[in-house]
Amino acid sequence: MTTRLTSDSLELPGALEAIETYFENGWSDGLPVVPPTAEAVSATLEAANLAPDAILGIEPVKGAVITAEKAAINAVMAGCKPEYFRVVAAAVDAITQPEFNLHGITVSTMGAAIMLVVSGPIAEELEINSGVSVFGPGHRANATIGRAVRLIVMNVLGTRSNDGLDKATLGHPGKYSWCIAENEQALPNNWSPMHVTRGVDEGESGVTVFSGLSGTQFGEHEANTPEGILDSFAERLYPLGPGVKEVALIICPEHAAYFDEAGWKKEQLGQYLYENARKQASEWIAMKLPSGAQQENNMKPDASEGNRLISVLDSPESVIPIVAGGPGGAWSAIIPTWSNGDRSKVVTRPIG
Amino acid sequence: MASENSIRVLDPTAPQSIATDGMAERPESLAGKRVGLLRNSKLNSEPLLDAIFDVLAERFEVSIAYKADKGDASRPAEPDFLSDFSNEVDVVLLANGD
Repeated sequence: MTTRLTSDSLELPGALEAIETYFENGWSDGLPVVPPTAEAVSATLEAANLAPDAILGIEPVKGAVITAEKAAINAVMAGCKPEYFRVVAAAVDAITQPEFNLHGITVSTMGAAIMLVVSGPIAEELEINSGVSVFGPGHRANATIGRAVRLIVMNVLGTRSNDGLDKATLGHPGKYSWCIAENEQALPNNWSPMHVTRGVDEGESGVTVFSGLSGTQFGEHEANTPEGILDSFAERLYPLGPGVKEVALIICPEHAAYFDEAGWKKEQLGQYLYENARKQASEWIAMKLPSGAQQENNMKPDASEGNRLISVLDSPESVIPIVAGGPGGAWSAIIPTWSNGDRSKVVTRPIG
Repeated sequence: MASENSIRVLDPTAPQSIATDGMAERPESLAGKRVGLLRNSKLNSEPLLDAIFDVLAERFEVSIAYKADKGDASRPAEPDFLSDFSNEVDVVLLANGD
C-alpha cells in the first residue's frame, strides 16, 4: 500500500522544539503531544490498512472531511500505538453520523464531551481498561484513543475552546479524553455485550459514542435486588427532568451481580425505570424541571396536570446499561447525554 | 537547514471550508423593506428579535416583520424552509437567545 502523505510539514531542530511549536500553533489540548513524523503516521495508517486519502467521516453541518491521514496525525500526537487506530477510525465514523449531531454537541454551551465505549474482543487485545478505576488514568489505550478523537475534533474540525467554535460554559474533564471498555467479564449471564445489543455481529468488536455530560456517581451498599438498585438510580435520574430520551447507566460489577442472580434481562432495567421512576406533574414543576435552559419543544409539565404521573424516561429504551468498573465497591453512576438524547443520539459502529 | 537532530513533523489541521462567498447583496436602506425575524427555537430569541425589530421600526420605515422558527438551535435550517422564508422577506435578522 502506498502511504503518500500530502500534509504540510515543518522542519524543526528537535522533538522538544516540535512539542513547543505545536503548543504555540494551538494544535494541542494543553498537554504535550508526540511529534507526528511521516514514519509514525505511515505506520499508523498501515496498521489499520487505510490509505491516507481514505475518508473516515464527513461532519454533516460544515461538510468538513476527516481523512485517514489527518486522523492518523492526530492519533500519533495523542500517543496512540498504531494498532489503536482501528478504534479511532471507527469512532470517527460514529461521531460523524448525522444523528450524533457532532457540530451541535461540540459548539454548544452545554459542554458535552465524547465518551467512547469499546466492546468485543478488541478491548482485551488492546488492553483497554474496563475494570478498576475505569474512568481514571494510567491506561495508555484509554487515554490516547479518547485523546485522539478530541484532537481530531479540535484540529481537523476547528472546534477549539481557545480560538474556535467550542463555546461550552463549563465543559468537563472528559473533554480531554474519555474512552473505556465494557467489563464483559462482569456482564450478567444473559446479557449480550453492548455492541451486539446495538446491532453489531457477535464476535466482532464495536465502539459506541455518547455525547456525555459530567456523570453522577453514587453508592448503594445496602440494596441487593435489581429493584432496590434501580430505585437508587432513579433518584439520580430525577434531576435530569421528565422525558429523558437517552442516558447511560454505568453499572458496577457488584451491582451487576445482583441482576445476574435475579436472572434479569438487560431490557428489564429500562422497563422497570420507565414504569416506576415517575413523579407527579406538580412535583416536576416544584423541582423547576425541565430547566429554563431547555428549549420549547422539550416536554414541560403543565400546572393543570396536577397529580398526573410523568416518567423520568421517554420510553423503556431510554436507558443504556453499561457494566464497567472494578470488582470492589458498590459505586455506580449515571451519565446524561447532551439535550437528554433529544437532539443527539448514541451511535454504535463496528470496528473494522 | 536540516541538522543531524532535526525532525520533520506534519500539520494536523485541515483547511476550514467555511464559505464566505455568495453573500446576499446588502440594501442601501431598510426603508420599506420586509424584515424577517428568524428564531433559532431558544426561548429568549423571540423577545430579543422583537426588541431589535422595535428599534428598527422606530429608526427606519421598515414594513412588516415576518416571524419564523427554524425549529432546532443545533442544526442548520432546511434548504426548503430557507427558500420559502426568503420569498417572504428582503432582509433577515437572526438571534440566538439562550
